[in-house]
Amino acid sequence: MLIDLKDIVKDYDNGGIITHVLKGVNLSIDEGEFVAIMGPSGSGKSTLMHTIGFLDRPTSGEYFFDGQNTKDFDDDDLAHIRNERIGFVFQSFNLLPRTTVIDNVMLPLLYSNIKTGHRHKAKVALEAVGLGDRIDFMSNQISGGQKQRVAIARALVCNPKVLFADEPTGNLDSKSGSTVMSILEQLNKEGRTVILVTHDMNVALHAHRIVTIKDGEIISDKKVDAKDRIHSKIISD
Amino acid sequence: MNKYFQQALKGIKASPSRTFLTTLGIMIGIGTVILVLSAGEGFKSYINAQIDAFGSNTVIIETSVPPSTKDRSSGQSSSTANSSAVNAVPITTLKNRDVEDIKQLPNVKNAYGASIGQQIATYGNVSKNIFVFGADASRFDIDKGVIARGRPYTTEEDKSLSQVAVLGHDIAIDLFGDSDPLGKFVRIGNYNFEVIGVYERRGSFGFSNDDEQIFIPISTLQKKILGTDYLLYSVVELVDNNKADTTALDISDILRRNHYITNPAQDDFKVSTQAESLATFNTILQAITYLLIAIACISLVVGGVGVMNIMYVVVTERIGEIGLKKALGARHKDILYEFLIEAILLTLIGGVIGIIGGIFLSFIVSKIAQSFGLTWKLIVPISSIIISVSVSMIIGVVFGVFPARNAAKLNPIEALNKE
Ligand SMILES: Nc1ncnc2c1ncn2[C@@H]1O[C@H](COP(=O)(O)OP(=O)(O)O)[C@@H](O)[C@H]1O
Ligand SMILES: [Mg+2]
Repeated sequence: MLIDLKDIVKDYDNGGIITHVLKGVNLSIDEGEFVAIMGPSGSGKSTLMHTIGFLDRPTSGEYFFDGQNTKDFDDDDLAHIRNERIGFVFQSFNLLPRTTVIDNVMLPLLYSNIKTGHRHKAKVALEAVGLGDRIDFMSNQISGGQKQRVAIARALVCNPKVLFADEPTGNLDSKSGSTVMSILEQLNKEGRTVILVTHDMNVALHAHRIVTIKDGEIISDKKVDAKDRIHSKIISD
Repeated sequence: MNKYFQQALKGIKASPSRTFLTTLGIMIGIGTVILVLSAGEGFKSYINAQIDAFGSNTVIIETSVPPSTKDRSSGQSSSTANSSAVNAVPITTLKNRDVEDIKQLPNVKNAYGASIGQQIATYGNVSKNIFVFGADASRFDIDKGVIARGRPYTTEEDKSLSQVAVLGHDIAIDLFGDSDPLGKFVRIGNYNFEVIGVYERRGSFGFSNDDEQIFIPISTLQKKILGTDYLLYSVVELVDNNKADTTALDISDILRRNHYITNPAQDDFKVSTQAESLATFNTILQAITYLLIAIACISLVVGGVGVMNIMYVVVTERIGEIGLKKALGARHKDILYEFLIEAILLTLIGGVIGIIGGIFLSFIVSKIAQSFGLTWKLIVPISSIIISVSVSMIIGVVFGVFPARNAAKLNPIEALNKE
């Protein structure tokens, strides 16, 4: 088992006002799965993703990653996991401004133990998302869909086992959205675990399993029949 | 390390004008340190040149108005003796005999007495109001001035009241232009003097300018021009400069005996050793240097606080970027170093511009001093550059570490959300 959450609770404390966001989440995900986390806005999907993606620590509960209890990890261990073992794709791309596409993709390598071949690795990652011809563009000179593909290349560049994507198509038109989804499908086919957050059923149906969350609790966890799955194609732009 | 530099450089390149303004305080501070230390060295070189001109192992005897006389003449009380050269009251007690007696002291190698008169010098139809400087022939052995053409006058010429003259560099040109002055006669007062030598250019020292003076035997000046028998001052060359202090006391004893002075408070002369004046001068120069460096340090601290402020602003501005970098695997240490190096680079940029500016200003100061004819060397002490660079690095670290730590401590997801 790759990810095993036991009774995860996340509270936010803003000056004494406590918001209970995750109210005891139990969830297991195996290596190679393609999971969509669905739920209405404000239900705690992003909070759950950040917790699984080592961007935040739970208030209580236990999180086993690849068999190890994450309680034992210090801040540097977490940074190392974020760097090499997982990749994160955000809704709003979060590329560095005034920076070229390839430099954006090389950024995680800067903080990794990989000392050489940065440019080559970044190029390979960009080719994998179909942007081999855009490497020297500035990050603000490309379209939204291309930006999200750069973000995916950046998430892939250290060759992680797991890819997290929080509403990756949320800021995209449907054409760019389906290109992004087809890339995620392809990555899963190649053996990578993909965990996706969305509130859009058409996006969620690309996954093989849909976990629904409401008010901080999981209310359903279903496999998607192969016949119900949606497959996207790369639509060139 | 290299990767931190790249990131830090990117931050700096993002807004060059802000970088410039941020580092202005550092520039001014470091420029001042360089300028002050260099000007100090330049001033020292000037003083040393002046001291060298008199000979570095010499004692100078000046006539000086005793305090009681001074009280009567000006009605002001003064605890220190005053040189009669600057005061209106002439002291007539220093004589050629005093110089001869002083020459007998074991630690005295040589000595000369000197006096000055203001006269009109004429050659052809050119006239100039000049200082005529009279001294024993031994002056040519003690003084470091070089005679470019011709020769100095001799003791025999002095004793026989010969009308011979050695010209300063400038006055020779003023009177004779391109023609050779040697063997020609220049009229000083009512006498014609044969020009037997011309000095090389020396540059001015303080209020006297040797280049514009005419040098003649002291006896000739006293008997034929001034009609007096006293000296304005005397320069004594020592055998062993380490015994300067005791020799100065011996000289004082001789002068008191010759001038019938029993109470040292009534001394009509002042004996000063070069070591003494050098020590006094160095003390004053040190004090001024420390004061100016203290001022420069204040501006460095102000500059450092400026850098710190900007770094806080930069951290706030780049909060999303910091969050992203942490989300992509940057450790606490990585972010800390990036911001720290950015702060150090900022101060170093200010430092380098400050050093260049400081050297440039020092150059200008030396050129101005030289244009006034002062012997002023452009010396930029390596120590001043080392001090400035290390001070600016330290400022970068000290004032950069607080904002950098704030940046490094940010929770990645909070930082991302704040954007
Ligand atoms: N830092 C925070 N402090 C307080 N409340 C928060 C914070 N972050 C998120 N929340 C709250 O937690 C709830 C879940 O948010 P989120 O996980 O972003 O939901 P979703 O991604 O499903 O829309 C929301 O009600 C939101 O207001
Ligand atoms: Mg969300």
